[in-house]
Amino acid sequence: MADTPAIEITGLVRRFGRHDAVNGLSLRVQSGRCYGFFGRNGAGKTTTIKCLLNLLRPTSGSVRIFGMDPRRDEVAVKSRLSYVPDNVAFYPWMTVRDALDYTASFRAKWNRDTEQALLAQFRLDPGRKTTHLSKGQRTQLALVAAICPEPELLVLDEPTSGLDPIVRREFIRTVIGAYQDGDPGRRTVFVSTHLISEFEGLIDEFTIIDEGHERLTLEADTARGRFEKSLEEIFVSTLEPGGATA
Amino acid sequence: MRFQVRFTSGKPVYLQIVDQVKLAVASGALRGGDALPGIRPLAESLRVNRNTIAKAYGELESQGVIQTNAGKGCFVKDGGSPYKKDARLEILRHDIDAAVVQAHHLQIGKADFLKLADARFDAFQQQRDQAPHE
Repeated sequence: MADTPAIEITGLVRRFGRHDAVNGLSLRVQSGRCYGFFGRNGAGKTTTIKCLLNLLRPTSGSVRIFGMDPRRDEVAVKSRLSYVPDNVAFYPWMTVRDALDYTASFRAKWNRDTEQALLAQFRLDPGRKTTHLSKGQRTQLALVAAICPEPELLVLDEPTSGLDPIVRREFIRTVIGAYQDGDPGRRTVFVSTHLISEFEGLIDEFTIIDEGHERLTLEADTARGRFEKSLEEIFVSTLEPGGATA
Repeated sequence: MRFQVRFTSGKPVYLQIVDQVKLAVASGALRGGDALPGIRPLAESLRVNRNTIAKAYGELESQGVIQTNAGKGCFVKDGGSPYKKDARLEILRHDIDAAVVQAHHLQIGKADFLKLADARFDAFQQQRDQAPHE
């Protein structure tokens, strides 16, 4: 069982009308690793993630999470993962406290100590209405709600876009600290982003996706050693017309 | 000690940390018995994966630079490499070969090379002697 990848995508195709948003993507994420899923806006990142979470049905190909089909075994899969989307929304009548209790009511586990520590770290007032939170605070609240159930897999879709640099850094520190430290061998992160420099140190391995196709998959250290560039520079030169690393 | 990682150097991040600890020990900035930062705080402050720090500490431990005390963290070892002298000389030979090759291409002769090696040995010794004791 230890060898079952956290995520395995094989020949994934998702078509919208005549447009192939994802066109034959394959990748595999080993348990306990931080996997970067890099692409420009519109490259197919969110479509892929929605297929992983059974929010979209693949046109063809297969996705497996913990070796299971997220459509057939939806509850089993979702009880072991958390998802932070790029645009976080809560029920407008809820306070921070309500929103956390509501989320906790769906989860088998909920770490109260982590919750208290993170609320204090982010200076989130439990009595505050979620509608009165800034975008950064809403993302922080979503991260608290994602980490407290202690999931084996954390799926992050452009989590830091539109946030100020301080909030971005704190977000990443929290993923490294509060999330990853809990049970390191079984804490997998799958993060889609085009803000690569901030996630640079977090990434063990990455795939660059462009127009629904995989362009480059490498271990981060191997990539930096081969190109003598940061991951962000590798990303840019891979996708630039006539890019050197393409 | 302060760690610094550069993502543009082409050198794996865990090796950058390994080399910085080894340098700190050789120059006396870290001494036998000194504690290294915990994995989580160091990972958070450098914003690198905790796997990277764990890998660096694992490498330092296998090289005999540090030791892990269960529940207490990692500490700089008081001398005592796990390898026999032959093996240690063999490891060093590779690094010296690289320096000799570099010297050749820089047209630095044996005498100057040995003089420089001598001076560097003394410089590190001096740094260790002057490093503040706890």
